[in-house]
Amino acid sequence: MAHDRRFRFGVQTGGATSAREWKEKARKIEALGYSTLYMPDHFIDVPYAPMVGIAMAAEATASLRVGTLVLGNDYKHPGVVAKEFASIDVLSDGRVEAGLGAGWMRTDYDALGLPYDSPGTRIERLNEALAILKGAWRDGPFSLDGRHYKIRDYDGIPKPVQKPNPPILVGGGGPKLLRLAGREADIVGINPNLRAGEVSPDAVQDSIAAMTKQKIEWVREGAGDRFDDIELQIRYFMTSITEDRQALAEAIAPGFGLEPGVALESGVALVGTVDECCDLLAQRREEWGVSYVVLGDDQYEAFAPVVARLAGT
Amino acid sequence: MTTDRKFRFGVMCSHAESAADFREKARQAEALGYSTLFVPDHFIDHPLAPMPAMATAAAVTDTLRVGSLVLANDYKHPVVLAREAATLDLLSIGRLELGLGAGWMTADYEKSGLELDRPGVRIDRLGESITVLKGLMADRPFTFHGKHYTVTDLDGQPKPVQQPHPPFLIGGGGPKILALAAREAAVVGLNANLRGGVAISDDAARSMTRAATDDRVARLRSAAGERFDDLELQSFVGFTNFTDDRTSLAEMMAGAFGVSPEEALETPVVLAGTLEQMIDDLQARRERWQMSYVVVGVDVMDEFAPAVSRLAGT
Repeated sequence: MAHDRRFRFGVQTGGATSAREWKEKARKIEALGYSTLYMPDHFIDVPYAPMVGIAMAAEATASLRVGTLVLGNDYKHPGVVAKEFASIDVLSDGRVEAGLGAGWMRTDYDALGLPYDSPGTRIERLNEALAILKGAWRDGPFSLDGRHYKIRDYDGIPKPVQKPNPPILVGGGGPKLLRLAGREADIVGINPNLRAGEVSPDAVQDSIAAMTKQKIEWVREGAGDRFDDIELQIRYFMTSITEDRQALAEAIAPGFGLEPGVALESGVALVGTVDECCDLLAQRREEWGVSYVVLGDDQYEAFAPVVARLAGT
Repeated sequence: MTTDRKFRFGVMCSHAESAADFREKARQAEALGYSTLFVPDHFIDHPLAPMPAMATAAAVTDTLRVGSLVLANDYKHPVVLAREAATLDLLSIGRLELGLGAGWMTADYEKSGLELDRPGVRIDRLGESITVLKGLMADRPFTFHGKHYTVTDLDGQPKPVQQPHPPFLIGGGGPKILALAAREAAVVGLNANLRGGVAISDDAARSMTRAATDDRVARLRSAAGERFDDLELQSFVGFTNFTDDRTSLAEMMAGAFGVSPEEALETPVVLAGTLEQMIDDLQARRERWQMSYVVVGVDVMDEFAPAVSRLAGT
């Protein structure tokens, strides 16, 4: 079914400093009109484990959606992941968004002592993992004789509440990954290419607006006829509500290794007054079809007026 | 720390009709005086994955402890598990009991395509996992080069509320796993030997007779040495039946499991009879085997509650 391209908003947050603060944060995100609380999945510098964190956040709220942005596929067996997402979907009465990526951050692989395979191999594994999630969630037993995983006659339980499956979000930045996302995902996150294994100048250059357009073409190539059904998402990394875009750009651009003008044109920059940010988001939706906007932990309160104006429109 | 061997009770919540029903069961377990709600970890049969289930049970209660009975070590990397367990301990404000086992159910391995190594290898892996878990929960960067896992200079995040780490519950039935439990656990679950790969078999039943349990506790005691006094011994009573005529029941069970009727009543995995008989049996078992932590199935949670109110904390 064609996606309506109405705006919705998410917050990516790694945790809080206490159980009480975590619940309060989830409730606040919900009250401000955000659609979704997302948790990242890293082993360095991120406080909480995502599956436990989102289960708790769902329990503390009534309508907020919860998800992962995104799980590194290599860190857990997809049979385990399928069961955990389905369980959270059941326990939250259908509020989960299953976000997965191929894994990219080298320090995570070091932490787990896992080999950091070529992007092609990691993407191939993600492809099989997505088949396992869908297979486990569908009615009846399924099998997969993959190169990386072998599933035999597995009738996954529980079955999720959302049918035919919870929305699958796949995020990535390169052509292979985005074509795969276009073919398989319900939501596609358009990210900088992180082939370097860390957030590098290469990744920042890769986030310029012209590249974003190219990336959406890759999604379209993978998606074919189903492109209109896919919800497109951007996680904005350079964000500020400010009266003076230029001054802010001059302040932050050097940190990203960019000229101020280039920084403002970045596909992951959202800087300006509430009006300017709303206009930019509307323009990008028009041009790119991107309607799902994700902000960071330190910006969601500042952007509440944007959410209030655009969410659901 | 020496355990006081006072009774406490857990409920094994292996099924729920719905999310609402699961929450209700957690609240009820708390209200009825149970210490802990446990959940299993299998790909098949059990509806909820343990981590989300424990998180939810903790979120809807205030004092109830939540635990896994038990997580199969092979299904998750210990660095992943350490982070999840610590998050859960943090968000439940120190109510996690981290139950771990080597993994045993053949069907889980077959369906998921995981390699079912021989017991020695699985137990070796579990031993390394426990080292990794404790290392990452401690307050400094951790390095470990094992046969199965390698961790380099990783400062695990978050840190758990319970210090130095949540109680580890190690369950198992064979001598190797008991030796590991003697060394590493706070709670030892004395289970049937499940080397057959299925839950119910004559082999598993024979491993839980009174004589076999005597032998197993003696083995645990000798492996633990001075640590034995620190270990809380747990039994999971998989079969609880209230009846005025336990003799007939015992005869029936004896036939089904290839043991004598006396043996059927004496095994720590069975409670059969009237409330008074059950209370007597539990006291006798604590006397004989130091089993003070008793887990029953969720289907008898209500019926068994009078025994909990009589014995818990005594």
